[in-house]
Amino acid sequence: MVEFKTISYDVVQVGEEFKSDDFLIKPEDVETFAFAVDDHHPWYFDDSPYGGPIAHPALLANQALMMRHSRYIIPAGLHAKMQMEFVEPLRAGMRVRSYGKVIDKFEKRGRYYMVTEFATKDEESGAVLVCGQFTQMLFKGERHVA
Amino acid sequence: MSLKAAASISIGDELAPRVKPIAQRQIDAYSGVRPKSIHTDVEWAKKKGFAAPLAQGLMSTAYVSQMMVDLLGEGFVKGGKINVSFIKPVLAGDTLTMHGAVRSKDAEGAHTRITVEFWCESQRGEKTLVGTASGLAA
Repeated sequence: MVEFKTISYDVVQVGEEFKSDDFLIKPEDVETFAFAVDDHHPWYFDDSPYGGPIAHPALLANQALMMRHSRYIIPAGLHAKMQMEFVEPLRAGMRVRSYGKVIDKFEKRGRYYMVTEFATKDEESGAVLVCGQFTQMLFKGERHVA
Repeated sequence: MSLKAAASISIGDELAPRVKPIAQRQIDAYSGVRPKSIHTDVEWAKKKGFAAPLAQGLMSTAYVSQMMVDLLGEGFVKGGKINVSFIKPVLAGDTLTMHGAVRSKDAEGAHTRITVEFWCESQRGEKTLVGTASGLAA
């Protein structure tokens, strides 16, 4: 049973780990993403050099970002920085999960931030597909969402 | 892996700009619709002080990825990297123009890593994203 707290600079701890729900990449997810970002490259729908269609490299970025929602209520917070490395092509049919760890939190010019590193893996093979880190701005103390 | 020839890419080369009008329906598709979201709930976004819902900054990383796949193909899908900062909010109804220019070519094992500087401007002339992306060439 998860006891959800509202995330804040004071609450989050360096070293804290996150894990997303698992997610089956479906053809409709690729199609939805293509519509959302207006990228209809034929590799994502027909054939690719990898044999059959692949998915957009950045398809799972939001899964990494949403890991924190598995433990916290997240009031709107500025996304400051994003680093991603694309290790293996993504494909519909893969069941994937993102794993993360808070590696830093800091104050800069009166604003508060947390840095989370992540790796998104193919749950079947264990292979890392995408990895990187992101920096989010936080409120200092607890605030109510509503 | 079939990579683009590094010799065909020069430092200073500019990528063709990509124009991205951002509709609310696209933000909804990207972020998933839910109440009390600054991305998909118009009234909530206004309550939080924004003239319109905000596109997630991450949407712009997909535009960077698109331009890098166009430039390097397989050398970005496997071995690509993105490192960006989001510096201004992007609102539903905005039109972004993505710019990129090749900044470096560095040996990486048997390959060459091509690094492109990116910046994204809104129709207001504001830079909304800056950073780099890179991938491999032969």
